[in-house]
Parts: sequence; C-alpha cells; structure tokens
Amino acid sequence: MSTFSGLGTALSSLIAQRQALDVAGQNIANANTVGYTRQRATMSPVSGVQVPSMFSTNDGIGQGTRVSSVDRLADVFLDARLRATTSSSSFLAARAEAYTTLEKSLGEPGKTGLSTQLSDMWAAWQEVGNYPDKNANRAVLLESSRDVATRVGTLYSDVATQWSQSRSTAVALVDQVNTAAANIADLNERIASITASGATAHELADQRDLLVTQLSQLVGASADIRADGTVDVLVGGNTLVSGKRVNALAVSGATAFDQVTGSPAVGVDVVWAERPTQSAALSGGRVAGLLSVLAPADGSGSGGVLAEAAARYDTLATTIATKVNALHGTAVRSDGTPGGDFFTFTPGKPAALGLTVAISAPSDVAVATAGAGAHDGSVADLIGKLGTAAGGPDAVWSETVVDLGVRSASATSRATVAEAARTTAVQQQLAQASVDTDEETVNMLAFQRAYEGAARVLTAIDEMLDTLINRTGVVGR
Amino acid sequence: MISRVTHQTVQRSTLANLQGNLTAMADLQNKMSSGKKVNVPSDDPSATSDVLRLRGEQRADTQYQRNAADAGSWLQTVDTAISSSLAALRQARDLTVRGGNGALGQTSLDALADEVDTLRTQLLSQANTTYVGRSVFAGTSDAPAAFDSAYAWSGTGSSVERRVSSTTTVRVDGDGAAVYGTGAGSVFALLDTISASLRAGTDPTPHLDAIDDRLESMVTQLAGVGARHKSIMETQETLAARDVETKARISGIEDVDLAEVILELQSQEVAYKGALGAAAKVLQPTLLDFLR
Repeated sequence: MSTFSGLGTALSSLIAQRQALDVAGQNIANANTVGYTRQRATMSPVSGVQVPSMFSTNDGIGQGTRVSSVDRLADVFLDARLRATTSSSSFLAARAEAYTTLEKSLGEPGKTGLSTQLSDMWAAWQEVGNYPDKNANRAVLLESSRDVATRVGTLYSDVATQWSQSRSTAVALVDQVNTAAANIADLNERIASITASGATAHELADQRDLLVTQLSQLVGASADIRADGTVDVLVGGNTLVSGKRVNALAVSGATAFDQVTGSPAVGVDVVWAERPTQSAALSGGRVAGLLSVLAPADGSGSGGVLAEAAARYDTLATTIATKVNALHGTAVRSDGTPGGDFFTFTPGKPAALGLTVAISAPSDVAVATAGAGAHDGSVADLIGKLGTAAGGPDAVWSETVVDLGVRSASATSRATVAEAARTTAVQQQLAQASVDTDEETVNMLAFQRAYEGAARVLTAIDEMLDTLINRTGVVGR
Repeated sequence: MISRVTHQTVQRSTLANLQGNLTAMADLQNKMSSGKKVNVPSDDPSATSDVLRLRGEQRADTQYQRNAADAGSWLQTVDTAISSSLAALRQARDLTVRGGNGALGQTSLDALADEVDTLRTQLLSQANTTYVGRSVFAGTSDAPAAFDSAYAWSGTGSSVERRVSSTTTVRVDGDGAAVYGTGAGSVFALLDTISASLRAGTDPTPHLDAIDDRLESMVTQLAGVGARHKSIMETQETLAARDVETKARISGIEDVDLAEVILELQSQEVAYKGALGAAAKVLQPTLLDFLR
C-alpha cells in the first residue's frame, strides 16, 4: 500500500463515474431514436494486489473502480418474439387488405350493385313478355342485358388489376428484402471487425436488429446470433444472410393474371436468385401474404383470393348465359325463326370478361313459344322468372357476395388479433430496451454524487498529505 | 410481464389508444353519415344475403305491380266490350221477336233488318276492340283484327297472360271464339241470317234459341272476366302492402338506429376526451421538473 495509492483510487472513480455519465448522456440523447437499445456502464471494483509475500504492503483494500463493460440491455428472446409476431401479423394483414380491396370493388349491398342490374334485366324481360310487339321494350331489354354483361366484365378486370398491383408490390418488397439483407451483411462485417478489436458496436447492432425486424415483417425472417456478434438471418429454414454473405431472393412464376387462371395454372413464387428452381418457402411476412393472394384457384374455394373471385365471376357469367340461352333457344321470333343464343362469349377470353349480348337488333329477341301466336311472350316470362329461381344467376351472385363477406370478415378479425399480439410484443420489447428519462436522471444524480464524493476523497488525501509534507518537522518554527 | 414502464412505452400505448378511439369514432361517423349499418358484405354477411334477396324480391314485386295494373286495364277493356255486346245482342233479340209477330208489313221488316245489320256491325267492332294496339279478343295473334269480314277468328288458341306473382299468372284477354263464336257459327253470321230472313219476309223467331245460347255464353265469359278482374284488384292491394313490408324489412336490416348511433358516438366522444386528458397528464411530467 503506497502512500499515494488513495489518490489513484479516487482518480479511478472520477474516470469511471465520468464514463458512466457519458453513457447516461448517450441514452438520453437517443431517448426517442427508433431501434435504440439503452446501454448501461457496468462498474467493477479493482482489487488490491494480493501477492502472498512477507514484505507485501497490501492491506487488503481494493484499488478503486473501473468500467468493466458497457452493456446493451437487449433481450434476444423478446426480440425473437417480436419478430415471430410481426411475421404472422403482416402475413394476415396483407391478406385482410386484399380482401377489403376486393370487397369494395363489388359495390354490394348497394343500390347500384350487380344485383340491382340483374333485377332490372329480369323486369325488362317481363315487360317484353307483356308487349312483345313493342320494340321499345326490346331495346330496353338489350340495353339492360348489356349493362349486366359489362358489369360482370368490369368486376373481372377489377380483380385482374388488383392482381397485377399486388404482384408489383411483391416485386418491390422483394427488392427491399435484398437491400435490407445486403445492409445486414455489411453491418455484420463491421460489427465483427469492431468486436474483434475489443471495442463495442452497440449502435451498429441496433441498426442491424431494426433491419432484421424489417425482414421478418417482409418475409418472416428469424435471426440466429453468433458468438462473434454477427447474426445469421434465416428465411424458410435457409440462410438469407450468413455473416457477410447474402443469398438474394427473386420473384418467379406468373407475370400476368391469365397465367394464373389459365390451365395449367401458374402461381407466383419467391425463389433464391442463385437457384431459381428452389422456392424460398416463405411462411410469414407481407410477401408471403401477397403470394397467397396471388395464388391460383384450387377448386375448393380456398386458393388464391383473387383467382377464386375470378373463378366465381366466370361461373356467374356462365350461369347467366346458359340459363338465358337455354330458354331463348326454344323461343321463336315474331317471324317464326328460332331465337338462338341471347348471350355469347368472346372466344379466347375468360367467361366473365367475354360475356356479351349476341343480339343487336331488337326484333331478333325471341320471346314466343313456337306455334303460340306472334304476340306470345311466355318464354320471356320464363326468363324473367330466372331472377328468383334456385341456382339462378341471382342466387349464384348472392352466394359469391356472402362468401366473400364471410372470408373478408374472418381475415380482418384474424389480422386484428395478430396485430394485438404484435403490439404486446412491441410493448414488451420496448419495456426492456427503451430509455426512461427519469431513470437516466436518477442515474445521472448518482454518478454526479459519486464523482463529487471521489473528488472529496481526493481533497481529503491531499490535505492529509499536506499535513505530512508541509507541517511535519517544523516544531517551534 | 411489462415490469418496466418508460416514456416511450407510455407514449406508444397512449398513441395506440387514441388511434383506437378515433377509429371507433370514424366507424360511427361513417354509419351515421351513410345511414347504413351494412356498407360492405363483411360488415354482416348474413344481413347482406338478406338484403340482396329482399332487394331482388322488391324489384320483382314492382314489376308484378306494373303487370297487375296492365292486366286491370286489359280486363276493363274486355269487360266493357262484352257488356256492350250483350246489350246489343239483347236489342237484336227484341227486334227478332218483333219481326216474328206476323202483323208487320215488308217495309217494317226491311227496317228491322236494317237495324239488325247495324247491330251486327256494332258487335263486330266490339269484337275487334283493341287495347294499346292489340285486339283483346284475338289472344296472341298479330292479325289486324280479331274477326275479319268473313267472321273468321284470327286467334291462335293461346291466351295473353300477365304474371302477378312468382307462381301465378292471370289471363287478361277475352276468348273471342267463346264470346262471339267463329265463322258460320258466330253471332255475326246469326244476325246476318236473321236479317236475311226478315228481308225475305219469313219468320225469324226460330233463331231465338240460338240467340239465347249466345247470350248465355257471353254472360258466362263476362262472369269469368269479372272474377279475374276482382282477383287482380285484390292482388294489387296485396302487392302494395307487401312492397311496404319489404321496404320495412330491408330498412330494419341495413339502416342504422340513429338514436342508438348518436348515443354510441356520444359515449365514444367521452372516451376519446378521457384518453386525451389522460395522455396530457401522463406525458407531461418528468423527474426533471422536480429537481433543483
């Protein structure tokens, strides 16, 4: 124990408290920085020299304090939970969003929806049946039938437009994924080299974790932390980022809606850019949600949202055409010739898009039963009754609307529940990682007091030594 | 396990709560301004299904009302025509009886014959009565007249029907053949025979039975038309009542109860204000306010 070692002890405290105060300052400075994780200076005492020797001057008292480490108070489990909930919540949100958009395009149950147009068409048939001799009624009928055909086509093209928009979004998001992955790889490399040199790279780790969370929101990525401080990012069980290496993703498959509805149906998938045949098997995230929206119909109604809707519109168009044509074909025109088809399909187009009225001249509408008189309208009456018939076009449409409504409601409520889970995870993660200014203020006070105390110790020792050096041996002076 | 509360977590949850409150308010506002509970199918899928069905029914009922009104006009026309025809035929019967009493000279008989001819023309024009361009006794035929100059009936045997409900149709034309007869057996040919008999000075009374038979079948047809007319009027009333009822049901399903929504909006507003107040209180103070 040297005479001056007390000065060293006080100095170590002064240095340590100042460092700790710096850390508190950094925390307060970043109180509102997104993704910042609070840090804490951990102090540990410096023990005295414990050399067992006869002339050792050590009296067992320690040599002061030092900042042993500056810790980043993140919790990997809370982070992992946040990523898992984010992944599933954005998957469900993407689906719910697609359903909501699709549902708005229906225009039901409004007074201007397809159901109203169908009812108007059936009423027009009845009018023609009442007065087959009046061409005005026939013209009204042709116009309202064209309205129905156009509306069904519009519904279909709305779905096709939504599909291509969703696909562009998926492509843009995958680009974003690749950029984020490259950034993570870059950060990994810098963190590894800084860590290797013995310094801390907490701020870089904050940035990196933010990017990883962004990736789980996009493609349901999870992270694996390695001993050297870098992370491996996994997507569908394969590595997207490993150290400083990146495996880029790419969108493959159908580029147009007719490929999805065609036969054989081609879906859209996200694959590894280097191995385009291998699917990335995304299980969560917004991109996976979009992929499920873009998927082809599977025949059971649970395939891709948009392709299923398109298939239902096709069924509707076919039902309208088949039911009306079946009756119209049996009828004769006023000149006695058979009626033929009322609705027809443009070849090479999906049924809903290609549905058109085959007849252009009002007099070509056939409403009479053969041999029942030129002013007979009994077939028109039968066609008019299709509106209320079981399995008729109105029933098919109502079923489509209600089914979509049920699915949309359930998708929205699932998304809401998942979002609540994500919010809780965010709260828990923030509770652990975010800066509390009150807490930092208290810490600042503590460090300030400790600093003052250490300074006082220094003064005390100085005064003591002063007594020894300047006041001793001056007896009687 | 939220053990630690920081300014950021408080700020986050406050914002989330305010957002939730605002969303609920916007929802209520939307309901109130649109007046509809069901704006998209997912708001209430089963209500959507009901609304679609009821709207379809309502539109069909509107058409049935139009059909029924049209049917009423047709039957009115037929009714008038047969009634006038009956009156004319009764007059012809009187003339026939007068022509048979034997005391009249040939001049008077010729005058009677002229009157009978006039009545025959009247009957023929009544038999060719049209409604909006259609012969009401010719069924679905498009011939210019129900009975031509040779008294041949142009009808096809199929009747003109109007649909007044999803299951019922009502016949609205008159059966020309049953009312007036056709060709040589028609009422017109009968009157021609009587007129000829009068002109020839022979007794026309043997034809009285034939006139009575014709009168009988006309009355039968008139009764049938009257019965159908009555049923049409009843149907019109039913349809009108059902229209009101359907509207009420649609409104009950899709329209909002304004009082309820206003009340909900009010309480939501109170909750929102409360949340704002709480936010103001929680977010403001820090320890720094209390340190020297």
